[in-house]
Amino acid sequence: MYIIETKQLTKSYGNFAAVSGVDLHIPKGAVYGFLGPNGAGKSTTMKMFLGLAKPTGGSFTIDGKKYPENRVEILKEVGSFIEAPAFYGNLTGKENLEIVGRILGLPKSAALEALELVGLTPYKDRLARKYSLGMKQRLGLASALIGRPPILILDEPTNGLDPVGIHEIRTLIRSLPKQFDCTVLVSSHLLSEVELMADHIGILNHGHLLFEGTLEQLKAHAENQGYPTDNLEDTFLAVIDADNRQRGGIR
Amino acid sequence: MKTRLNNLDTDARQSRQTGRNINILSLVGVELRKTRRSGIQWILLAADIILWMPSILNAHLNFGMQAEGISPEHNFLIQGFMGMAWFMFPASMIVVTVLLTQTERSNHGILKMLALPVSTTRLCLAKFLVLLSLAGAQMLMSAGMYFVSAAIASHTRNYPFMLPPLFVLREAGLMYLAAVPMLAFFWLLSVCIQTPVFSVGMGLASIVPSVLIINTKLWLTYPMAYPFFVITAEYGKLATILETAQVELFPWIPVAIGITVVCLAASCLCFGRAERK
Amino acid sequence: MKTQSLSGSDRYPVHDSTSRRGGYGLKPGLEYKKIKRTGLLPAFVCCGLLAAAFPVADMAVRSERYLSLPDSPVSILLHADWQMMSMLNVLLLVVAACILYHTEVSDNALLKMCSLPLKESSLFFSKILLLIPMLIFTLALEAAALGFCCWHWLSFSPEVLTELAYSMGFSLLLLLPAALLSLLLACACKNMWISLGIGVVCIFTATMLPADNFLLSLFPYAMPFQILAGMQKETITGFSTAAALESLGLCAAEIIFLKIRRWSA
Repeated sequence: MYIIETKQLTKSYGNFAAVSGVDLHIPKGAVYGFLGPNGAGKSTTMKMFLGLAKPTGGSFTIDGKKYPENRVEILKEVGSFIEAPAFYGNLTGKENLEIVGRILGLPKSAALEALELVGLTPYKDRLARKYSLGMKQRLGLASALIGRPPILILDEPTNGLDPVGIHEIRTLIRSLPKQFDCTVLVSSHLLSEVELMADHIGILNHGHLLFEGTLEQLKAHAENQGYPTDNLEDTFLAVIDADNRQRGGIR
Repeated sequence: MKTRLNNLDTDARQSRQTGRNINILSLVGVELRKTRRSGIQWILLAADIILWMPSILNAHLNFGMQAEGISPEHNFLIQGFMGMAWFMFPASMIVVTVLLTQTERSNHGILKMLALPVSTTRLCLAKFLVLLSLAGAQMLMSAGMYFVSAAIASHTRNYPFMLPPLFVLREAGLMYLAAVPMLAFFWLLSVCIQTPVFSVGMGLASIVPSVLIINTKLWLTYPMAYPFFVITAEYGKLATILETAQVELFPWIPVAIGITVVCLAASCLCFGRAERK
Repeated sequence: MKTQSLSGSDRYPVHDSTSRRGGYGLKPGLEYKKIKRTGLLPAFVCCGLLAAAFPVADMAVRSERYLSLPDSPVSILLHADWQMMSMLNVLLLVVAACILYHTEVSDNALLKMCSLPLKESSLFFSKILLLIPMLIFTLALEAAALGFCCWHWLSFSPEVLTELAYSMGFSLLLLLPAALLSLLLACACKNMWISLGIGVVCIFTATMLPADNFLLSLFPYAMPFQILAGMQKETITGFSTAAALESLGLCAAEIIFLKIRRWSA
């Protein structure tokens, strides 16, 4: 059973297709790595899942629910972190989370738990405006994790973190399915990073899904096509490069 | 190829190191460029159109001013300018100060500016000059709209409302000059008060009492009342029967210059302080 | 599959996924939380005090001008000073609306709100529900000042209190369309100066409109300048109905606007 499934999902702006005909299958309880270079359409796809952008073609279901009919129902199950961290600069980290928590109808302790999860507890009473980049990122993550949603959609969650932070967040994400019984969709432009977190991956380039499957399947696929397989980053680059060349040199 | 690139590289670096400091005019140009696509010109234009619209519709009222002893064409101009000096012009200038501060703050552009080799005083003054030039633009647009509306009114009422351009520009120029201390004060508010609700709120609230203050001796110390006072004085000059307080250059000019200098100095001191601490 | 997920979350009985209720409810309390440190609350107090100072100062300086007038004391005071006071009220409304949405937009919080199980329109209605008590507070300060002026300079009787209460209630009703329109503009414009600029231009338009034209004085920003005292009964009903209809219309407009914005996202 797939918890998120898309059918020919398409989003075009004028005559530019940000996402075109994508069929994703995200199994329940998996950490699904969404991979692609900048501007491949990862964020757009995630925004469509959250109802922040309207698909121009195709459809998707999240836990059997459809957009736009069940928008609010979908959002109740999804914790999200999209693009730049979003917060109220005039409030403290704790106050920010309390607001999200109250909208979700969570008890007060939820905010503290989320702060603890991302390691922000010592800074909970500082204004969010005065947070460092990494702290803002963690606050964004906390607002996604709050209330233990069954589905998590995280757009490049380790951007701007230091190596220790990256490692912490990666470990956290990897532990989430077991700990909270949830499914995670996480995007990145680094295969090496996805490799450490995800068990399923989808590779997107220029709005097209080039590959979907497990890491082993990717290796097998690469060997078939004659791409290098000793280093996964090289495999990824070769896949993207081949696709770009096929498109007639558009980069 | 390699060496040529290298040469270019060193050239660029040398000019970066030895280059003279950017002069204030080009800095104003840079600052004006930042207001591109902000939509501010449309707001200023809309204000000017709305200012003159009632004058066109109510042009016939200008014929019933015998009690004041002002000619219809002069009344047409002065009534419009009074509406502008009292509320429209000061309020749109507050909006411009919001534009100037928010464009810097919203995406942390100010941090980039402070990290460039430009003195903050110059930067602050350049922004004030942008405020002055946008004020000038609105004044010119307003004068332009006057000519359009006077032409329309002349046509509909069969009476020559049009005044000589030099006279109109002189009146607009007087109002503009009288507004400089007010603009300096607004600039001080927007630079020194970080909380937008207070800088905007105080500015707007300070406009409202100017109607009362021009009738008292206090107007001298209240820059927000200057443009309105000057235009009211002009009204009194043109209306032979009406008596209004006249502008006495002393002690007004020294006081006005003093207020401007103090406000500008304080805003230059405050500028970027919150970001640099 | 479903049962499995339930049993999974049973391990965390405190707040499992099913407790992420979300909802459509209005949460003005939450909006109140969001305006912390924006200075909005003190701004309402200051505006109320400033507006209250007008009649007091006016009476202190030239009360002899008003003592011989035949109207009721409240009517005298309102006709003397309400123009200025209501001007301050409307300016405050425009600024407050701009700030309420500026906090949402400036650090992307609106994006977060849109990805929570929440109707975007409920954000708008919660904000108006937050504005109303603050406006009542400001109007009460102004009423207190007017009452003081009656007591100190003119004549004071229980009727003064009822007349004041009616006047302020009427003003609140007539302020509603302006409040809704300001919020709608603030919601529509990402940049604060645009909504502020449009608001300022609208207020200016209101001051330029001829007072004797009933239809024109129904312009949302012009209505707050009306004075209840001495008004014809039909005019009162006219203004009240118009204010109610405009408010409903503006609420509908906001809902439609949000729908369209989401559709074109």
